[in-house]
Amino acid sequence: MIFQPDLITGVISFIFTLLIFSYLIGDNPLFRIAVYIFVGVSAGYVAAIALWQVIVPRLAYPLVFGSMNEKIFAAIPLLGSLFILLKVSSRMAGVARMTMAFLVGTGAAVIVAGAVMGTLIPQVGATINFFDLNAAVAVGISKGEAFGNGLVVLFGAIFSLVYFHFGASPKADGSMRRFGLIEIAAWVGRIFIGITLGAIFAGVYAAALTALIERIASIINFFSNLFGNF
Amino acid sequence: MRVITAFIAIASGVLVLGGYFFPALAGVQTLLLNWAIILAGVAAIVGILNLTSVHMDKIRRGEKGSAYSALLIIGLAVTFFFGMILRPQHDVMQMVALNGIIIPVEAALMGLLTVSLLYAAIRLLRRRTDMMGIIFLLTAALLFLGSATLPFGDIPVIGTLIRPWVSQILALGGARGILIGVALGALTTGLRVLFAVDRPYGGT
Amino acid sequence: MADSIKCPVCGENNPAGQEFCQYCQSRLQPITGSLKSPDAPIRPGQAPTKKNTAELEPVLPQWLRDARDSSRNNEDEDVPQSSQKTGKTRPAAPAEDLLAGLQSQSSDGDEDEMPDWLASITGTAPTPKKNQAESSEARRVELGDKNDFAQEETSDEDTPSWLAGLTENKAQANEKDELTDWFRNADDFKPAEQPAKTPPADDTPDWLRRMATADEDTGKAQPPSFEASANDFPPPAPETPDWLRGIEDKAQSVDSAVFAESTAGESEAFDPLSSGELPAWLNDQAENAAKRAQDTTPKWLKNEEAGMPATGELPAWLSSSEDTVPLPPVSQKNADALGDLPDWLKASAPQTSIFEQPEETPAAEVEPAEASFDSPDWLNAFKDAETFASDEPAPALEKDIPFDAPPAFAGDSQASATDNLFTEMPDWLSSAMELPASSSPTPITNADAIAPGELPSWVQAMRPVDAPLPSPFSSFSSDQTLESRGALAGLQGVLPAAPGFTPTSKPKAYSIRLQATDEQQAHAALLEQILAAETAPVPIASYSSLILRASRGLRWFLFFVIFAAVTFGLSVGAPIFSMPLGVPREIGGALNVARSIPENAPVLVAMDYEASRVGEMEVAAAPFFDQMILLKHPRLTFISTNETGSVLTERFISGPLAGHNYENRITYLNLGYLPGGQLGIRAFSLNPRAASPLDMSLQPAWASAPLEGVATLSQFAALVLVTDSADAARVWIEQTESTRGEIPVVVISSAQAAPMIQPYFDSQQINGVVAGLYGGAVFEQNNAGRPGVARNYWDAYSLGMLLAMSLALGGGLWNLALGLRDRASAREAK
Repeated sequence: MIFQPDLITGVISFIFTLLIFSYLIGDNPLFRIAVYIFVGVSAGYVAAIALWQVIVPRLAYPLVFGSMNEKIFAAIPLLGSLFILLKVSSRMAGVARMTMAFLVGTGAAVIVAGAVMGTLIPQVGATINFFDLNAAVAVGISKGEAFGNGLVVLFGAIFSLVYFHFGASPKADGSMRRFGLIEIAAWVGRIFIGITLGAIFAGVYAAALTALIERIASIINFFSNLFGNF
Repeated sequence: MRVITAFIAIASGVLVLGGYFFPALAGVQTLLLNWAIILAGVAAIVGILNLTSVHMDKIRRGEKGSAYSALLIIGLAVTFFFGMILRPQHDVMQMVALNGIIIPVEAALMGLLTVSLLYAAIRLLRRRTDMMGIIFLLTAALLFLGSATLPFGDIPVIGTLIRPWVSQILALGGARGILIGVALGALTTGLRVLFAVDRPYGGT
Repeated sequence: MADSIKCPVCGENNPAGQEFCQYCQSRLQPITGSLKSPDAPIRPGQAPTKKNTAELEPVLPQWLRDARDSSRNNEDEDVPQSSQKTGKTRPAAPAEDLLAGLQSQSSDGDEDEMPDWLASITGTAPTPKKNQAESSEARRVELGDKNDFAQEETSDEDTPSWLAGLTENKAQANEKDELTDWFRNADDFKPAEQPAKTPPADDTPDWLRRMATADEDTGKAQPPSFEASANDFPPPAPETPDWLRGIEDKAQSVDSAVFAESTAGESEAFDPLSSGELPAWLNDQAENAAKRAQDTTPKWLKNEEAGMPATGELPAWLSSSEDTVPLPPVSQKNADALGDLPDWLKASAPQTSIFEQPEETPAAEVEPAEASFDSPDWLNAFKDAETFASDEPAPALEKDIPFDAPPAFAGDSQASATDNLFTEMPDWLSSAMELPASSSPTPITNADAIAPGELPSWVQAMRPVDAPLPSPFSSFSSDQTLESRGALAGLQGVLPAAPGFTPTSKPKAYSIRLQATDEQQAHAALLEQILAAETAPVPIASYSSLILRASRGLRWFLFFVIFAAVTFGLSVGAPIFSMPLGVPREIGGALNVARSIPENAPVLVAMDYEASRVGEMEVAAAPFFDQMILLKHPRLTFISTNETGSVLTERFISGPLAGHNYENRITYLNLGYLPGGQLGIRAFSLNPRAASPLDMSLQPAWASAPLEGVATLSQFAALVLVTDSADAARVWIEQTESTRGEIPVVVISSAQAAPMIQPYFDSQQINGVVAGLYGGAVFEQNNAGRPGVARNYWDAYSLGMLLAMSLALGGGLWNLALGLRDRASAREAK
């Protein structure tokens, strides 16, 4: 029997795949063993990646080999990193808040700008441009089809947004109801939302099915390789 | 401390936000973001340290399931040790850790999701019989069918006409509405943070 | 009891309707027969008339305020009182006493300067035994600051006006202020001045007997009040009343008196018979003073002596030696008295009968005997004060005397105050009787009353009321505080609050009630409802073991069906299902990008997917990269915002792209992990060199061949996002919107993310989408017939999708029917 690295990988992979599939008979120690080992290995791997691909190149390297400016600029995140590490200590966790505040503040700014410039404006503009019939004709879509599609997308977007409007006023019987037109629009929006979620559900199932196919294919390959080597 | 943290959050946010609109602040924005990159990487390490400490405590106290925690710690230590020595992209690390454990486990869990999703789809109308549930299931079934092919080609009408129209037009309207809603939510959330109304960093 | 009347003097019962006591000839019926009006004097037991005295507050004399301040300052201190000679301790002033400072002032090392009558008021005689038993009823008067009697150092001109009333050299005989009037009445009670009506021994008024009894009980301790020597008294003048002469006559023979402090610390029993015509207490006082022969008379009394040549100029109460003391024609002096009255008394004068009563009542009706009944309560309080005295601890006088307050009777500085002192004196004198032993005001009971008699109307106005009604009339001050202790107990609005601490306005009232509108309440109720629904346990009664077993069986069935179908699809050697033939627009866009990028152009590839979707992502991405590499040989630069993305990139290159022999740093470059999510993406889009200076092997990235000539994001030929997450795709699209320029963007995504990425393709923010195995199959189908993994998976995939459609649709309809049946049966059951 010739030692092949792929065979070892195949064996390990096969074992862990079976351990996970054992979940079909319920939660069992084998499944837990696989999961705990997976979590530990993943954490260790991520830690190694973070050290080698973040700390070393972006922090340690400038501090050691960088110019004076680079060292100065690297000293500040070094200080912030020390603050974050203090988060482990409950007593010193307050110091870490400063670093976390910095991260949250910058993150909030990036989110705001990205949402406005990357989604809100372009998506609203695209909904409007759906009625650009000349552009549709240019890409081989008839005007009627373009107009109809544009209406569907427009109403779908609007009604879907209305669906997420939960402002309501109490009725005489104590129930909470939305305004009449809002209620109708939200009902239509529910249809669009249902269709979208159905599409997402189908996509998730397709992705899961593909993953299952890949796992079964790997098992088949493992056995074919295993028995092919004998 | 609360004032300081709020000031830091607001100041950094305003500077970064200004970098989107004022070229003069682009340099400051880049500098702050590069610092944030490093700090985010350190934060990931802190998370792993926290995970380690939690399971170490469980082992130390001999709680139920501490054997699993021991497995976790062993796997973490070994992987980290060899990852530091060999580096993560090394072939051995990829073969054993990535291809041998991480990918099979995750993919198998994802494969199990197939059964769960199908089971949920079957049982959906048993517990929820309304317009949204029916449309949801019909759409999913239509896309299931439209994604498959026949031995001689795409399924007529469904695969060639209905499926693209549903996924590209009908679903597009709802998806756009959801995206705009998400963007609005992100906008308001970010502004609340920038105005220090929300202080998820622990300033409240 | 209605048939007889008890004589208030001798205590004997008399038939009802008897005007005079048949034993002691004392008047039984008050001389108020004509005073049946509301102005009638108050009788014992009668509820006092509620008087609104709040308007008097602004004209409250300064000394009273000062004394009050002084007492407040020494609230927690016991004012020491000690006898100068005996060393016995005096009762400490109650801290809350309004006039606390007066006594301490008077005993400032020169106690004998205290007037006798004041000393008796203070009740400083320590009578331990008696006081312990009667402390609850004891009363006393605390006098003001030590400087209050500073006029003893002053000349006659500095004599306060209230003392001027006692001196004739002031020529104020016609200044019949209210004090003289009622003092005159008080003087009338002396039975010695009525030889025809000289009472027997048992004719002694009750209160005097009680005083004597108290002295006997207490034994030796006597209040060190009257230390004035008889020598200090002026020689008896023809007009000198008998009782004053009696004082001098017996001053040399009496060793001790009830109201005099004995040097031996002992006191003799009070003998009313020995007093002759004088009341015993006055007799003893004189005797005691004469025996000691000490010049302890206060200076103000000396002045009094010097200025007392004639009784005609004496105050009425001192000159009332007649059997009957006809009241002066008050009506004539009414105007003068009113003119002298302070405003606050004027305010009360019209309500009282003090100035009007004489007009209505003949002078003859003012019988001396009635004077005893008419004794004001301050006299009544003497007997109580004496018993009260020993109740209190008596620390050293010099120790705790409050000297801070301005003197109540200061000379020059307080001239204006002292000028009016006498006219305002009744304020504290009248309330001396009300000095409580306890902190709460003692209600006036019958036991305190000697007999029904006339009470000066202004005193009546000052009398405390148990429950003062809120006055509907406006007062001069907004301070309507009911004085609960001290001389002004029971009065409302007399004393202002401490200056500077008086709230200028009524504090704003803040309601603790939640201010919420009905709408807000409704919203809150709705929120509570939602929260309750979230946390409410959902009954799982329907999940019986049978159902759970069936559920598990269904899961196993599904797994084995799918597993069998997939295995069959993968195991079948020949393709069963055709690859998808149609090319959707989004995949067509990706094809265009793969075919349109420049040759050997730098292409940035973001590998952001999890290991769980490696199979799907590699199948979807491989045809695209295969075609692009084949056609354009791009220089690939990989970066990942996912921790494992960098190693998955290596796996992708060494796996599906292995046939292209791409080498690190030559044809491809792996920049590794870019942390920070959106932050990292934004930083990289702004300045890729700064965000990722080194590659995964820690070599300078931007000097390598794959990144040659690239400094910014827009200098890449294309941006390819390989992601399984719609959020990751959205973030990349959003954050590079302003920096990527016009470079094409292709998203190779998982099937689950495709619906949410589609809007970005529709908005032309991205140029193509390859989603899942279906997209990979389509792309592979259009990849010049090159074999790929998609083809291997496609049969299993098609089988799995058809199976899912069948099971979901069939099972869904079946469960729909079951659900309808269950609901129908549930409705029937109801």
